[in-house]
Amino acid sequence: MKRYRKPIQYIVLFLVLLIGGYAVGHTLFASTAVLKTGDEPPAFKLLSLDGSVHDSAEYAGKPLIINFWGTFCPPCRDEMPALQNVYERWQDKGVQLVGINLSEDKLSVESFARQVGAHFPILLDRNRQTEKRFGLKQYPTTFFVYPNGKIEAILIGGPLTEEQIEAHIEKLVAGRS
Amino acid sequence: MFSNTKCECGHQNHAGTVLCESCGKPLTEEWAGNPETPLEMRYDGVARRSQKANPDLLDRVWNFFSSVKVAVWLIVLTLIGASLGTIYPQENTFLNLQTYQEFHDYYKEHYGTAGVVYHALGLSRVYSSWWFIGLLVMIGTSLVICSLDRVLPLYRALSKQQIRKHMQFISRQQVTYSGPEPVNKEAWLDSFGKELKRKRYKVWRDGDALMAEKNRFSRWGPYINHIGLIIFLLAVLGRNVPAWNMDQYVSLDEGETEQIPGTNYFVKNEKFTVEYYTDAELPPTLKGTERPKLFETKATLYVCTESCDDPSKDPVLSPVKTHDIRVNHPLSYKGLKLYQYDYTPKPKLVSVSPMLVDKKTGEQYGPFTLSMRNPALTYRAGPYTLTLKDKFMDFGLDDQGRPMTKSREPNAPAFVFIIQGPDLPETGETYIYFPQQIDKVKFRQDVLNKAIADKLDIRVPSMSGVVLSENTSTLNVRVDRAMPFIWTGAAIFMIGVAMGLYWHHRRIWLRFDDGVLSLGAHTNKNNYGLRMEVAAAMTKAGLPVSDKSLDNRRKSP
Repeated sequence: MKRYRKPIQYIVLFLVLLIGGYAVGHTLFASTAVLKTGDEPPAFKLLSLDGSVHDSAEYAGKPLIINFWGTFCPPCRDEMPALQNVYERWQDKGVQLVGINLSEDKLSVESFARQVGAHFPILLDRNRQTEKRFGLKQYPTTFFVYPNGKIEAILIGGPLTEEQIEAHIEKLVAGRS
Repeated sequence: MFSNTKCECGHQNHAGTVLCESCGKPLTEEWAGNPETPLEMRYDGVARRSQKANPDLLDRVWNFFSSVKVAVWLIVLTLIGASLGTIYPQENTFLNLQTYQEFHDYYKEHYGTAGVVYHALGLSRVYSSWWFIGLLVMIGTSLVICSLDRVLPLYRALSKQQIRKHMQFISRQQVTYSGPEPVNKEAWLDSFGKELKRKRYKVWRDGDALMAEKNRFSRWGPYINHIGLIIFLLAVLGRNVPAWNMDQYVSLDEGETEQIPGTNYFVKNEKFTVEYYTDAELPPTLKGTERPKLFETKATLYVCTESCDDPSKDPVLSPVKTHDIRVNHPLSYKGLKLYQYDYTPKPKLVSVSPMLVDKKTGEQYGPFTLSMRNPALTYRAGPYTLTLKDKFMDFGLDDQGRPMTKSREPNAPAFVFIIQGPDLPETGETYIYFPQQIDKVKFRQDVLNKAIADKLDIRVPSMSGVVLSENTSTLNVRVDRAMPFIWTGAAIFMIGVAMGLYWHHRRIWLRFDDGVLSLGAHTNKNNYGLRMEVAAAMTKAGLPVSDKSLDNRRKSP
């Protein structure tokens, strides 16, 4: 029995470090539902207005703007033209813009996009699942994502101006990785 | 203190031994010095396993956790920490708050300065704080190490006991007897042994020395209950593993189906019912108020079998379980539990089945069913075709007078149709339809529709054509795979406690020296019972003694 004493002590203390380390570490580094600058946005796979399916993976390596909006939100409507103009100016330079609608009917979204002249890709969330994963509280909310997938800024509320949007795009394109 | 480890009987003891492992002679100065006091019999006087003359770092860490004093302090600190967490509600009880600032504001608003301090000190999330989990881990470590260090030497000591004990060991027990030996020593010993056997003792003889013992297994009770506690603690820590634990909320209108986030399951609220107490059932102070007696969601759980990850198609669902979910009666399926959490009484329109009416002839066409969410785009009503062009869930006008929806909820739904048919232009006429009478009046449907309002009307003939959701039901979806382990741990703990509490380890030693009978007896609980047993056995064997005279603690001045 005696010769096993040392190994038993090592095994017990090793297990303590392993299990205890995991448990304590979990409390220190637990991720909260709220996204912040420097995080990676959650993945999504959604239907677009034109009927195609878009996966967030296809935007990897490109500067990305994700705008959450709803037809019920006046500032969302007001910033649509700015988003559309900026998109026209930057799409050739590889900047991606997606507007994720907040789980409304396709009919309402289509009609709204037509009225406000939004022709950039618009994706349809279902049952608020994507919105919940992004932890949204207010609308509109716009995420600016570096080509390396890290969030550069989260702008809550609106309407955004073209200058505001372009200032962030320039940072994305300059690409501090 | 640790130097004198070899006993006069020749046995080499471990460092830290209090009573010789073989003959029981007190070894340390402290115990050898005062021959009048009863002996300290904890762990039968054996050394704790890890006690060493020259401890290294590992031994020091080990010895820290091996100390019961340390364990008691850890438990006290944990209790204080846990009690601090009960002063104000913990953060995880609020569904709507997420960020540090939101919590800060909440505690400030509700509890003032004390709330701000409470939140700043992190007491609003005690049970998931690093120090609280750290304390639990340390208690767990202490449980393992304390037990290991004591149970192994104790097991060794109890499994090879010497029958003939040192005179001092016998005379310094708490239950003792000393007197002239009986006339027929051998016959008396036989009959004393027989009496003890009748009381379910095991009896050993070594010449004219005797040892009897019963219920040794009760000594393992504390260690078994520690095993239970360790399983319990590990299970509690296991809840941190994401796959082991889930806690989410799903709000459903009647008839609505929603995916449970992060799973392949969907849940449908078939029907929600709430029953209130009648005034007769309520105490006078509550009369006239709405007090729910019972609320229940008839729910169906579905599993997605196809197109689960394809947003261009509707998922194919197959029902797996139907259950009436009530408070404390969750729907339970493969470790997934859906509890009734809350409900919001808020009537919402789900669908209407109106008729198209020709105002001149009075002829009615239809009905057709118009769903508030994801309605079909074309409808046939007699000779007319209705094409849905736009839809507003909560109709209103923005600051520039344009129609818009004020929210995502069907509070004031409005449907914009293009109607084609007899007496109408080829391209159709625009017709805006408010299913709710109150909205129809408020937004002046007939004025908006202009000329066509004189020709056609869309109207619901009776209430049977209206489907309403009276309430929104909120369900709490939980997975807690640690629960079976928690119950197992708790059961083992109880077995250990019962073993240690309801059975008492009793031992009796006896020897003869120069015509004197010396008897000592020891138990870890209930000395009185042991004295009764010894006195009864001695008396029956022919040596009458009273149980009181055996009490060594009161004999000495």
